[in-house]
Amino acid sequence: MSSAGAFEPHVHIPDLKPVTPDDRPTWELLSTCVHCGLCLNHCPTYKTLGMEMDSPRGRIYQILQVNEGQMEMGEAFVTHIDRCLGCVACETACPSGVKYGRIVERARSQIEQKYPRPWLQKKLRDLFYRRVIPNFGTLSFVARLARFYQRSGLQTLARKTGITKLLGMSNVEALAPQIDSEFFFSEIGKTFPALGERRGKVAFLAGCINNVAFSHLNRATINVLTQNGIEVHVPAGQGCCGALHAHAGYRKEARELARNNIRVFLSGDYDAIITNAAGCGSNMKEYDDLLEHDPEYLEQARKFAAKTKDVTEYLAGMGVRAPKKRINRKVAYQDPCHLANAQRIKSQPRELLSAIGCELVELPHQDQCCGSAGVYNVSQNELSMKILDAKMDDVQSVSSDIVATANVGCMIQLRAGMQQRGMNTPVRHVMELMEEAYS
Amino acid sequence: MSALAETGSPARELSAIVGEQNVAASDSSVAINGAFPALTVFPGSAEEVAAVLAFANTRGLVVAPAGGFTKQDIGGIPEQVDILLRTERLGGIQKYDPGDLTVSVSAGTPFAEVQRTLGEHHQWLPYDAANLERATVGGCVATAASGPLRHAFGGLRDFCIGVQFATADGKMGKGGGMVVKNVAGYDLMKLMTGSYGTLAVITRANFKVFPRPRQTRTFLCNFASLDETLRFRAKILASPLQPICLEILSPRTQDYLNDPQPARDPDDYAPAQPVSLASKIWQIALRATGSDTILARYKRELAGDASRELDGAAEEQFWRRISQFEYTILTRHQNAMVLYTHLPISGVGTVAQAVERIASDYNFIPAVLGRAATGNLIAAFMPLSVDPPSAMQYANCVSAFRGLLPTGAAAEVAHCPKEAKPHFDVWGTTPTDITMMKAVKKAIDPNNILNRGRFIV
Amino acid sequence: MEASVLRQLKKIAGNGAVLDRPEELMMYEYDAGVDKSRPGAVVFAQNTRQVSEIMRLAWQKKIPVVPRGAGTGLSGGAIARKEAIVLSLARMNKILEIDVANQRAVVQPGVVNLEVSNATAKYGYFYAPDPSSQKACTIGGNVSENSGGPHTLALGVTVNHVTGLEVVLPEGRVIRLGGKAQDSTGLDLTGFFVGSEGTMGVVTEITVKLTRLPEHVTTLLGIYNTIEDAANTVVAITQSGITPAALEMLDGWMVRCVEANVHAGYPEDAAAVLLIELEGMREAVEEQAEAVSAVCMQQKAREVRRARDEKQRQLLWLGRKTAFGAVGRVSPSYYTQDGVIPRTKVPYTLAEIERISKHYGLIIGNVFHAGDGNLHPLILFDARDPVQKENSKKAAKEIMACCLNFGGSITGEHGVGMEKMNLMPAMFTEDDLEIMVRLRNAFNPESILNPQKMIPDLRYCREITGPLPKAKVEPAPGVRV
Repeated sequence: MSSAGAFEPHVHIPDLKPVTPDDRPTWELLSTCVHCGLCLNHCPTYKTLGMEMDSPRGRIYQILQVNEGQMEMGEAFVTHIDRCLGCVACETACPSGVKYGRIVERARSQIEQKYPRPWLQKKLRDLFYRRVIPNFGTLSFVARLARFYQRSGLQTLARKTGITKLLGMSNVEALAPQIDSEFFFSEIGKTFPALGERRGKVAFLAGCINNVAFSHLNRATINVLTQNGIEVHVPAGQGCCGALHAHAGYRKEARELARNNIRVFLSGDYDAIITNAAGCGSNMKEYDDLLEHDPEYLEQARKFAAKTKDVTEYLAGMGVRAPKKRINRKVAYQDPCHLANAQRIKSQPRELLSAIGCELVELPHQDQCCGSAGVYNVSQNELSMKILDAKMDDVQSVSSDIVATANVGCMIQLRAGMQQRGMNTPVRHVMELMEEAYS
Repeated sequence: MSALAETGSPARELSAIVGEQNVAASDSSVAINGAFPALTVFPGSAEEVAAVLAFANTRGLVVAPAGGFTKQDIGGIPEQVDILLRTERLGGIQKYDPGDLTVSVSAGTPFAEVQRTLGEHHQWLPYDAANLERATVGGCVATAASGPLRHAFGGLRDFCIGVQFATADGKMGKGGGMVVKNVAGYDLMKLMTGSYGTLAVITRANFKVFPRPRQTRTFLCNFASLDETLRFRAKILASPLQPICLEILSPRTQDYLNDPQPARDPDDYAPAQPVSLASKIWQIALRATGSDTILARYKRELAGDASRELDGAAEEQFWRRISQFEYTILTRHQNAMVLYTHLPISGVGTVAQAVERIASDYNFIPAVLGRAATGNLIAAFMPLSVDPPSAMQYANCVSAFRGLLPTGAAAEVAHCPKEAKPHFDVWGTTPTDITMMKAVKKAIDPNNILNRGRFIV
Repeated sequence: MEASVLRQLKKIAGNGAVLDRPEELMMYEYDAGVDKSRPGAVVFAQNTRQVSEIMRLAWQKKIPVVPRGAGTGLSGGAIARKEAIVLSLARMNKILEIDVANQRAVVQPGVVNLEVSNATAKYGYFYAPDPSSQKACTIGGNVSENSGGPHTLALGVTVNHVTGLEVVLPEGRVIRLGGKAQDSTGLDLTGFFVGSEGTMGVVTEITVKLTRLPEHVTTLLGIYNTIEDAANTVVAITQSGITPAALEMLDGWMVRCVEANVHAGYPEDAAAVLLIELEGMREAVEEQAEAVSAVCMQQKAREVRRARDEKQRQLLWLGRKTAFGAVGRVSPSYYTQDGVIPRTKVPYTLAEIERISKHYGLIIGNVFHAGDGNLHPLILFDARDPVQKENSKKAAKEIMACCLNFGGSITGEHGVGMEKMNLMPAMFTEDDLEIMVRLRNAFNPESILNPQKMIPDLRYCREITGPLPKAKVEPAPGVRV
């Protein structure tokens, strides 16, 4: 064996860079990946595109190469990282416990810091992440504009004249949520007393889009909680959770939002911090990761993360009261990625649905994303629609009266899917169904 | 007699390789479909086999390898046979480790001898092809012959873990090894199994062995029609039961499983009395293994279907006769024709029916026996003694039968009078690319000295 | 890669189906093993016709081609040497037919192994070979590597479950080997092709056997205070006449590693555990479970546990199936071996591995298919430390030598590929290898397909067959002979 070729492990050795405060993916994070490939078939973009670059293993490899300066942070790299849904289904498949979500968020942060996106794209992203979402005043204003567009007949006009189509916007436009006539902002700062014996006291995060497009869902959530003996506070001063920012690479902005929420929510003595949005929950549970280099906030961030509970997790954990009426329907529950994959909450929503009398129908490929993924269905519309197509095949493969989920993004996406296929199966949030059972 | 023996030179040269006492002029007992090899050699080692082949290859002499001479009639009429290479001196179990459940055997060892040795340790090769007292390990591998146990255990290909052989140009080669799981190198065991001695002469084979079942029981289930038989088969396949054999027997078959008796009076089969006279009963023989509890469950589940149970010596005898079926027929009806089928399992019914139908169309008596759930059927056509068929009639019968086979099915003629063979293609069709088969043969036996003209390649 | 070739590839497969930018090609330079080599182009075929046209083009231009499935192989079989074209079959991922009546499924090569079982479960069937990567690896890749898995102990490896193939030959000709029948007239080229590691043809369609789901399955966990007792149990079970569906072993180090990952329920203070699965008729499973437990206890098992329910059973298996990856949590680099030994030699070999581990000061984890003697020692090292890196190579070589000295094999299921090619002369003579080359050339005369894999260039055989280190064969204290 003079030539040891057979025994030459060609492991590339990256330089050991010090842990950086600029959100670089660290060697510790990257080196856990042994490129075994078990994640491939769990990744919706790999399943759709069939290319290594659009797989979790491939993305980690690209990030590693960029990190080491072996590959430039160019258009190809950005394209493939942008295409990641962040659904972290790969994490559920990974035997090495690679924290893929954290890796890709850091990579995106690098992109935002170093990669010059096209001017218009950059401006639009900045406008959205820096101005609209974090600022409830601006959000309210934009929502009013959108509501005017939807209600005044402009939308009908635009659709009829084909302007939406002409602009290539018909797919995207169909995904816009219906703006509420009454926003939820008015409820912020209020307290909702428990009905019957008080079993707990929680703080509720109202979210961002929920305030303007899903205010009824927020009300339903509070309703279900109070009906179950929970006192609900909606602390004043709260803001967006920062999930969209963190996922898009705007980690600086995400940190600002996190610090604000930590201040607001930890000032009261609450049993738990409740959210009804899977994306918010998973991000809030990672505040300690976001603030790992902020000694002032790290300890509190850990406390905040530990207190954060998805509403289904919280209710199922304490057990619900008998409903006033049973919802005797066949329900297919679609796992939101940020609940099932990121927070590993799978049984709790099902338990709640069973508790109100629903007959559960299991969908195939439960860990697969519907393609919503925050703003993914807008930013990567074409791919998102392909992923949705696979999901709708699964939905059609079972017979159910209702499709339930536990995240607004998934609801919007699934509704668009139903519309595309000419199906009229209602898509409901678990909390909406529960409200029905408790009223 | 070819010029070979007369000049004496090849005999002398072969004597130099294997020793004078191991070269003989052939006699008529070793005719292969009528062709007489001039010389018979008995090499005593793999090296000698290789040397004999190297010699034949340089002289362009055609070699026919032979073990127990039980299946030499299978295949086409040889174009030429110069040397019959007998493997009987390559005998003996070379290595057997009961703890590892592996055995390595020289090619010329009779299969039954291997089974006896393994039996001493309550182990066996789950293999029950015909004539195992004479048939050798090398011959069994080369012909891929199988028996009823194929149902649960697969064929020799599935438990042959290593093979050693000598190629036509005199190289000694091997594939696999002595371990039960091995992917180093190409799977030459698969290539050699069923190659009918056309690629190389097998000198040694290694197998993984199995613990021998402590007890077995056989349930015989009778049915008034083929349809009912197939329904029962479907029921068994869908059930949790895991029999080790599942044989289907056509009505006439049972005649050949009874005690040996003088051949029937030919007049029994007078055309005036149609062939279906004897019986209309189809049968499935199911062999189970396990503890008393498990056998009790079989008994329970088969309660409505099984009409007889066999165990002990009677059971052994029954299965021996099943294994011997085609040879019993050939003993009683010298001019019978026997085909082996390769079918997708849903085709078993169609094919069994086709045998019955075609036989009566061409004045044969049909009998079908085989693995009901693997599609390996043995279809026998016995000629009516009062009206012996012509050579063409065999050919017409085969072609009509093949015409009725379902998609993806094929049938090869294993045994038939040699006079009929020139009139049809003995091997028939195969889904496997024939050009590729020929390329493989050419790669390893470029001068085509091994069994020329007898196999599909 | 020549521009004209790329143009033609795009014409055949479509613009979106050809990769040629360096940053994209970089993504096809690895598999799940240790070797790396960058291809000249990547093309995604969608059907047999495209595969055939791509091969014809490559044949004319004499450009090597390497077929690739999911890239989960461990021996470099799907990595391109010589700037070859990587022909990805990942997009040919349809199950074409489920033929319950004939107990067969016809699938395209890019179908993921587990998807076949998922699709056939509703009919009461499954596809038996279950490599640990089964949720990602493809059937085409399984055919090329003749993949195994824990459950192949009783049910056999890939070759025992494939009856038909459609193959595209290097010159572009499409051929069929076998079909739905159990066997076919003539040479068994189907069996011969399986395990040929992409060196004979490109598989474009596979007919596989479907196996009836067993009535009853139970999983036992034998827990041991010493690794020798566990190894002796493997020998004792094999000799007892029971063939479990699976018989797997994890040593104490691996147990702790796996527990940190999935909480499979293995006791963390054990020196070794055996995972024993029994399946079949309910009565048979119950009897065997008792018999196996008794054997374990005779061999000084501390305890034998039985999975209470399906959930617990799945958890026990999850631990086993994710064991390799779990090592990634602990060590930045590891080197997986795939040696095979006769089953009676398991105790000696493990003792020898332990000696090697101590000698080089490297952790060597053991998780393997004990029932068929297929070892997977994982040598852990830090690639940033040159001494460790060097020692890991030496340790691997000694382990291989030990397997070969016991009459074993260099690979049980991972394949030879690039990684073990130079070890082939330690198992086979020059004549053996030459015969294999001749047979390969019948399919792939100019080595256009997957060149420089599996069989080393014969001219160099003698140079690379240096003596392997002599393994110690005396059993360590406590090991029963």
